[in-house]
Amino acid sequence: MEELIRDLKEQIIDALNLEEITPEDIEDNAPLFGDGLGLDSIDALELIVILDKYYGIKLANPAQGKEIFKSVAAIAEYVAKNRTK
Amino acid sequence: MISVLSTNILSPLGASTEQNYRAVKEGRSLLEVHQDERGVPGSFVASLFSDEQIDALNVEGFTRFESLVIRSVQDALSKTDIDPASDRLIFILSTTKADIEELAAVESEDKNYSSPGRAAGKVAEYFGFVNTPVVVCNACISGVSAQMTALRLMNQGLYDHAVVCGADCQSSFVISGFSSFKALSPEPCRPFDIDRMGLNIGEAAATIVFSAKTSEGAWRLIQGSLTNDAYHVSAPSPSGEGSILAIKDALCGVDVNSLSCVSVHGTATMFNDQMESMAIQATGLSEVPLSTLKGYYGHTMGAAGVLECILTMCAVDEGLLPACRGFEEIGVSGKVDIVGESRPVSGESFLKMISGFGGCNGALIYSKGEISEKPAYKGGSATVSHHIFMDSKSVVLDGESLEVKGTGKEMLSQIYKSYIGDYPKFHKMDALGKVVCMASELLLRKENAAPDASRAVILFNNSSSIVADRAHIACICDMENYYPSPSTFLYTLPNIAAGEIAIRHGYKAETSLYILDRKDQKLMDAIVESSMRESSAGSVITGWVDCKAEDEFEVELSILNK
Repeated sequence: MEELIRDLKEQIIDALNLEEITPEDIEDNAPLFGDGLGLDSIDALELIVILDKYYGIKLANPAQGKEIFKSVAAIAEYVAKNRTK
Repeated sequence: MISVLSTNILSPLGASTEQNYRAVKEGRSLLEVHQDERGVPGSFVASLFSDEQIDALNVEGFTRFESLVIRSVQDALSKTDIDPASDRLIFILSTTKADIEELAAVESEDKNYSSPGRAAGKVAEYFGFVNTPVVVCNACISGVSAQMTALRLMNQGLYDHAVVCGADCQSSFVISGFSSFKALSPEPCRPFDIDRMGLNIGEAAATIVFSAKTSEGAWRLIQGSLTNDAYHVSAPSPSGEGSILAIKDALCGVDVNSLSCVSVHGTATMFNDQMESMAIQATGLSEVPLSTLKGYYGHTMGAAGVLECILTMCAVDEGLLPACRGFEEIGVSGKVDIVGESRPVSGESFLKMISGFGGCNGALIYSKGEISEKPAYKGGSATVSHHIFMDSKSVVLDGESLEVKGTGKEMLSQIYKSYIGDYPKFHKMDALGKVVCMASELLLRKENAAPDASRAVILFNNSSSIVADRAHIACICDMENYYPSPSTFLYTLPNIAAGEIAIRHGYKAETSLYILDRKDQKLMDAIVESSMRESSAGSVITGWVDCKAEDEFEVELSILNK
């Protein structure tokens, strides 16, 4: 799980162009939206692309993202259960 | 005001305005499921020209997009006796992506890609138009923007005639982009309906030939307005603020009870339709019948604003509004009167409204009867207060060279770190966005004044969004590695660069991007000056912002104050 969390953080930083952020800056359980990293609606859609590209998870309904994208730990949990690659 | 001399609509439903209006009246649509077509894996719903139609429309020596434009303009021009070679005629092309499908194809063969500006140039040469053609590239509102450009230039007495054509062809480029935004409905779209699931893509061309002379009984474009939400690049303000500003400005002096209908954008996305309902209620239009045509054509992008005005003229002429195809049960919270079934309508005028990515909004008033025009804005020439020149290795601010480190992309990063540093969105922008953002930031630091909410942003270039276009193609060209990215796609709309400035500084006037085949300073000055004279904008950031590659750009921006 630790490795998955580390990978996810790097993938998120890369896909969302979070230039000034390092994986260490992102806490596993900190909220990604709102106060946390301050991500917005396009970032949420980019997270859907990450799930598809690296883990073979297709999220048809962006509304599902609300729960899944709460924190990096929450994403990791979802990915571990649902990944196809 | 300017008057309509002739029109054409060229769509999968027909090759003339009359054929298209008849199809809509009969409730016909070609929104169909397409499976593994146009380079898109899987299925999507769209209204597309058939292969036979495409072959029949082809004009030898021209691309699919250029052929579509030529056929539409030709039909509209054939119904007039105007001289195409007159230097008092301007050709204005509204498109979001023009020939973009060609880009991927020619890259591998090292052939020249026909940019939107070049495509307009080729069409102009075909007809013998002598003036530099103008391409309006303002995402979904392009068709309304293009009509505003014609209105303003002609109100200033600069031209006798304008040929305004809106067109877009669909390919994997745009379909994959909207799909990554989760904006596409898997079924024919259902504007304003409780069960709406998004938009459908459509292709079409539509042309209006305008005359500066008004004649009795002819439809006239009376007035209009362009604004920005200054809220978000890809989501409309939930309250509809920018749309409300545009509608109020366009309605100035017009009795809303005299309107036959409101032709809304009505894309059938959750956010758009909800936002429009809020704007309609807030501007006192809840009792005016509301018409949307997306259920017949899908979203025809650059054509939409033109096509929908033409069909609304036909409907009001006949006194019968077509049903809002796809609508059954109201699914928006603002009070609106959707035309669920076709219904008789009286009156001789209508409001067209539209909104798009980059936060832009537009509204137009058309009439063929008596209508009072709003009082002219206090004009006066705008004067330059600050000026910046920036290319890939130098910056000159108000005539003084600014010391910079590095070149190109590196230089921009250094400028960001040295002068701004607290706007992480910078890192998310594409090359054009970064160049425009840094140049405008330096300019505004020099101005050092409180943000002017009535400021417009009007940009010009030649290369459109070529860097982002290539990046998006890289995401979708390999079927084994097909992952379209919403943020990459977003920046393939070059007007986003103008929208970013408005959002950062709270500018709520017009944001526009024009693509020119060649840098024509006189034409650029005329567009900006007519906008300043014909709108309530108090100032403008404007100039040339061309970015050919990440390390190859040239920007010249000024702040002009009224």
